[in-house]
Amino acid sequence: MKFISSFFDSRYQTPAWFQEKQSRKQQLSRRGFLKSAAGAGAVAALPAITFSAQAIEQLAELRKTDPWLTLDATLAHLLPSSKTGPSASDIKALEYLYQVMTVQPTAQAEKDFIVKGVGWLNGFANSEKGQGFVALSTEDKEIILTKISQSRAGENWLSTLLSYIFEAMLAPPAYGGNPDGIGWQWLEHQAGFPLPKAGQRYFELPPRARTRNEIAIHTVAVTAPMQVNQAKNVVKKSIKRVHKA
Amino acid sequence: MKNKPYDICIVGSGAGASPVAYTLANAGANVIVLEKGPWLTEKDFFKDELTISIHDAYNPKLSDEQHVIEEEYQNEQGERFWQGEATSDSGWSWWNGSVVGGSSNFMSGYFHRLKPVDFRLKSEFGAIDGANIADWPISYDELEPYYAQVEREVGVSGRVVEHPHQEPRSSDFPYPPIAEVPISSWIDQAGKNIGYHPMPVPRAVLSQPAMGRSSCEYSGYCSSYGCSSGAKGSGRAALLNHAVKTGNCTIKPNAKVYKIATDQQGEITGVHYYDAVGRKQTVNAKLYVIACQAVETSRLLLASTGDKFPQGLANNSGQVGKNLVFSGGGTGRGDFIFDDLSEQQVSELKHVGPFVNRALQDWYKIDDEKFTGANKAGKAKGGTIDFLFHQNPISRARGTQWGVDEQGNDKLLWGEGLKQSIKQEFTSYKTLRFEVFNDWLPTDDCFVSLDDTVTDKWGDPVAKVRIGYHDHDLTVGAYLAEKAEKLLVELGAKNISSAVSGYPATNLMAGGCRFGDDPKTSVLNKNCQAHEVNNLYVTDGSFMPTGGSVPYTFTIYANAFRVADHIKTRWQASLVS
Repeated sequence: MKFISSFFDSRYQTPAWFQEKQSRKQQLSRRGFLKSAAGAGAVAALPAITFSAQAIEQLAELRKTDPWLTLDATLAHLLPSSKTGPSASDIKALEYLYQVMTVQPTAQAEKDFIVKGVGWLNGFANSEKGQGFVALSTEDKEIILTKISQSRAGENWLSTLLSYIFEAMLAPPAYGGNPDGIGWQWLEHQAGFPLPKAGQRYFELPPRARTRNEIAIHTVAVTAPMQVNQAKNVVKKSIKRVHKA
Repeated sequence: MKNKPYDICIVGSGAGASPVAYTLANAGANVIVLEKGPWLTEKDFFKDELTISIHDAYNPKLSDEQHVIEEEYQNEQGERFWQGEATSDSGWSWWNGSVVGGSSNFMSGYFHRLKPVDFRLKSEFGAIDGANIADWPISYDELEPYYAQVEREVGVSGRVVEHPHQEPRSSDFPYPPIAEVPISSWIDQAGKNIGYHPMPVPRAVLSQPAMGRSSCEYSGYCSSYGCSSGAKGSGRAALLNHAVKTGNCTIKPNAKVYKIATDQQGEITGVHYYDAVGRKQTVNAKLYVIACQAVETSRLLLASTGDKFPQGLANNSGQVGKNLVFSGGGTGRGDFIFDDLSEQQVSELKHVGPFVNRALQDWYKIDDEKFTGANKAGKAKGGTIDFLFHQNPISRARGTQWGVDEQGNDKLLWGEGLKQSIKQEFTSYKTLRFEVFNDWLPTDDCFVSLDDTVTDKWGDPVAKVRIGYHDHDLTVGAYLAEKAEKLLVELGAKNISSAVSGYPATNLMAGGCRFGDDPKTSVLNKNCQAHEVNNLYVTDGSFMPTGGSVPYTFTIYANAFRVADHIKTRWQASLVS
């Protein structure tokens, strides 16, 4: 991934974390599990982009510059303001995404991908229209997003943002989106109770037992050799699960 | 505390463990419970889809602790082979709630009893080629008093109805049925129209406050969510809290047992575990009870080698891990399109909070010439169908971002198109679902072993699970799903479909240490004591030679109470001698 400079680079392969999220989605039905081929796109750990020190109030300042400026504009285009229902701004989609990137324990590879997509989007907007995405007219934004959605990387990037729009709209407000349950009200959904408050969210549960030296917990081999994964994919393609009867 | 001798050491804290802790602590024995996960209480459970399903936060990360799942593949030459895949690669978690109280915290609590026929499947329907079916060494009558005890002390709400397959009962339900949504009576009427007998689902959810616990608050989120009122009969809320109150039960959370040690005589001398910060610790007791849920129980026994047990504890017969079973069956669904219905009907469908709570057991025994199973007379063990609504909105929204372009290809939606798609998904119809439960026949292709290469975060080998199934399970599942679909047709549902598959539902597991009278073909005797180890009992679902056609938790509870009585008698006798 670190060599890739645009949504249209043919070397791009859907990253493993993206595929795992897709397969997890399938598991939500009791029997719906579908096998996902392990992704071959080994993602080298990039230098961490440090948002973590920023308090949520500072988003107001941060959203004036990238990547938040472009993310804000993209979310606003994906879920526009109209009479038909709440907009990205109404559901606080950017505030939610900011929490995903800074407070929630989101995988670094995914955070890197979201930020890289901002660069790729602006690069493409500049090459097509001579200015960054934020400065474009609504019509030009639509053209640019439609074009990138036809690339695998662009589709993955937009899908990632859309899935966070759904979470911003429908997760408990303690996570930063869905103010006063605006998404639930729009969709006539009755939420359960009790709902978590800050301090009670999924990443704030009592911790699990640790290993003595805390060695292996977050250092899974995302940097597995490319050849191994590619070989595995080839194996997968030539075999299929036996379906008897 | 270290090396303090306890009377009873229990590994695991769920439905198989908690009845033993409760019974023995109440009898005055000094009990210790070792649980791998943290000790959460009602205050830690919320109706938070991100916690429960999106991030699976009550379970270990797969990079920390995982399984290897072996499936059968076929290459281009038509040769079949088994190949394992680590769940950290596939994303397919096999954990069901690693916390005090275990998966019983997150169960739906469908508490159907087994029926007399489930205890003698082989005698009743005969052997089936390729399946290792065995009768149980106990009968329904021996377990019945313990089902009644669970109904009273864990708390089961229900109502007995006239039914062709109603099992014998010594007592009525101690708690009235929980509240129902209007569609429950639609199901009753539609069933009546076509000659079915829909029945209220007995549910391990308190309909009235009792035993120091609150009644159900009807938040509308129950299945797979932890209960914040205490109404759901988890082993923690219903039993362990009382056991701790006696002063005789110590619960040690974040304690991961990795080995059971034995002496030259083959008796257990102690249990080794990693504590919360990874230090090695040991507990000693007179009697040891293992109840870590089927796969992990077999894994622990296999990992616990000793001089007398080179292939793993209680495994000189080679039976540990074998004959693992899940639940056969599948799921189905039908949609109620609001435009087709009256305002009154739509408003009834939108009612959220209470339970659908209806099941069909009309085909618990199949007796139908058209049925083409192993038994040529069309007789077979059938199963149970339960109806339910799903609630999780984020899951429901996912998928609405996909539309179709002019060429018929999938395309991402955004803008007004996305808004319309979401709005339509949520407000134009409601889906009624069903789940089919039928026997997963034990076979030689479904078992637990230790993986050669993959280890957990403590460095110990993980369980490898081979998940082969028997074709007969699909035949029965499809027969039942077709019956359920007919009820959806009668209800006026649209887009009706069902899917029966050989993929296991990982929250429905049993077997691996089946009980029986013959030490050559079973691990445990009829009291769930290991044939080969005098001071070892296994009280989770591992004991079951066949699984029945209902969810397992109720039977695991009842059997654990039965075994607990036996252990209590033995412990009391040891005080006298």
